[in-house]
Amino acid sequence: MSPDDGTVMIECENLTRRFGHFTAVDSVSLQVRKGSIFGFLGPNGSGKSTVIRMLCGILAPTSGSARIAGFDVVRQPNAIKGLIGYMSQKFSLYDELTVAENLQFYGRLYGLRGKTLDARRNELIELTRLQPYLNRRAGLLSGGWRQRLAMACSLLHQPPVLFLDEPTAGIDPVARRELWDLLFEFSGRGMTLFVTTHYMDEAERCSHVGYIHMSKLVVCGVPDDLKSLPAVNPPNTRRLDITCDNVTVGLQALRRLEGVRTATVFGQSMHLLVDDGLQEQTIRNELARVGIAQADIYPIGPSLEDVFVALTSLNNGATPVPK
Amino acid sequence: MRTPFRGFTAILYKEFLVVLRDPATLFFMIFPPLIQMIAFGYALDTDVRNLPLVVLDEDRTAESRRILDDFVNTGTFRYAGEVSSIEELSLRMRQGKAAAALQIPPGFTRDLHAGRTAHVQVLIDGSNSTTASSALNTSIGLAFRESIRRLLGSLARREPPVEVRPQILYNPAMRSPNFFVPGVIGLVLQIATVFATAMSLVRERERGTLEQLLVSPMSRWGLMLGKIVPYLFMGMIMACGLFAIMRWLFHVPIAGDVTALLVASFLYIFALLSLGLLISTRAQNQMQALQMTMTFLLPSVFFSGFIFPRDTMPWIFQALGAALPATYFIELMRAIILRGATMVEFWQHLAILAGMGAGLFVLCVLRFRNRIA
Repeated sequence: MSPDDGTVMIECENLTRRFGHFTAVDSVSLQVRKGSIFGFLGPNGSGKSTVIRMLCGILAPTSGSARIAGFDVVRQPNAIKGLIGYMSQKFSLYDELTVAENLQFYGRLYGLRGKTLDARRNELIELTRLQPYLNRRAGLLSGGWRQRLAMACSLLHQPPVLFLDEPTAGIDPVARRELWDLLFEFSGRGMTLFVTTHYMDEAERCSHVGYIHMSKLVVCGVPDDLKSLPAVNPPNTRRLDITCDNVTVGLQALRRLEGVRTATVFGQSMHLLVDDGLQEQTIRNELARVGIAQADIYPIGPSLEDVFVALTSLNNGATPVPK
Repeated sequence: MRTPFRGFTAILYKEFLVVLRDPATLFFMIFPPLIQMIAFGYALDTDVRNLPLVVLDEDRTAESRRILDDFVNTGTFRYAGEVSSIEELSLRMRQGKAAAALQIPPGFTRDLHAGRTAHVQVLIDGSNSTTASSALNTSIGLAFRESIRRLLGSLARREPPVEVRPQILYNPAMRSPNFFVPGVIGLVLQIATVFATAMSLVRERERGTLEQLLVSPMSRWGLMLGKIVPYLFMGMIMACGLFAIMRWLFHVPIAGDVTALLVASFLYIFALLSLGLLISTRAQNQMQALQMTMTFLLPSVFFSGFIFPRDTMPWIFQALGAALPATYFIELMRAIILRGATMVEFWQHLAILAGMGAGLFVLCVLRFRNRIA
């Protein structure tokens, strides 16, 4: 089987969950194909975890339906349990148990025994490089290693679908990159991954992304497709990256300039959405007026963040590009 | 693939490890009950002895001395000094320095010798009903014995016309440890075991590990059984420790069969652990679990017959007691330990405990949904 043979592994239709009067998830529909990495983004409390819990079959939807590899999560909960791995937002390890014991426990929980269990365990220990920590208690591991262990535990039964709820929250950049390397490796082997995150750079790495805001899914698709949406690229505009000294001073000046629709700081540079009619020289003159003599200006495409900002404001009924 | 107890051995493995891993937790699970047992066992002693008795002797004769000696010789009282006025006597009583006071009026010996009724006043501190009733009974008994002895002397008879010979079976010395300690075992076991399982699922819920268990193919029967078995082991070890303390520290002889004791303990502990698990399926956090555990503890102290006999309670409290596992266990303990009763004679109690355990266990499995909300 090729990594992506078009099989839909995760799908839901009008998935809705209410807690009393509060609607945590409002009519979310999406499809994730085999072998893809679906990045699920949204602010805290927007309903990301609630969607995952419903897809995993541990929270009943108020209405709508969801299927994992064709099995209904409500009517066939036992069928999906062997198919999914789940890494919850909290570190779901037993602190008193060592790394080896945690692996042993989760393996047995999924009915693995004897040689099969040993083989799977050794494979994952190698993959996650947990070998030196086998006899250390889980409670004494640092964030990155805990996360690796949690991942190893959720993969012992070789699930074709893996849900990860904010796997990189609170771990260092090196561990974060290594974790993503692992995810790509799994995806290459045909595993379907459903990952929630706060980080835009992580979203850029996903093959598909969805953005949930105020309980509603506002965007869903392939990052490049989303970036070329008309709502993200208003007619007769272009995006510029301007690198200069004193970006904050420059930002204040350019925001007042006629023809600049939006301006945001990105580290040492600014990202601008400007009318096509605005000349580069006009920008340089304005910068010189506030004392910035030197500036590198070049055109750029929209980032996923631009996509989410544009589509969220559309969704809220506000004008997508103010000015 | 679809065995009903799927996940049982995994949960069992994990629970044993978690319990054994942390010696401090294990220690605090086993040790305090033993200390509680010793403390309760000593504190709950209703044998009244050595009550402080002050004397206002206004007669001051050999006879008045002799009547004081008679009081002290009963063992109920101890001589706590002499006072010289009625005011001083009241002061001592009010201050709690004397539990009883003996007032011998002037002319006591004169009346005695003249064949008139000689009066002695005994004042008893009624603020503690246990000591008061004991002091009262001792005083009345003493007066009767003394009167009969003198009457027999004047009638030239050696024996009284009627004699009642009470014989106390099973606890001839009327030792209160024999009565209380078996009950204390019931209470101490309840405190330790209900709490242990009441916390177990709640802790998993708080930590987030429960979610991880729920997405696994583990069955709820497997989960509950895996949670209960390790504590059943520990509960039995605890019970054996408690029986040892009872036998060798409080010197309560075990008249019945030790096997019967262990069977009763096993069924009782199973019922308590199931109750704890049931609490665990309801409580959202450890505080709630603790409160619910305590809610079951107080009725078990008051309505189980542990201190107050159930026969004299209003029907509502008797009914309440009938719903408590502790009631049956304490009755079983007294029957087996003191009266040497057999399992066959008390099969109904055992059956009720077994039924409670099984019923509560099934209830908590059914109550537990493989969902978080």
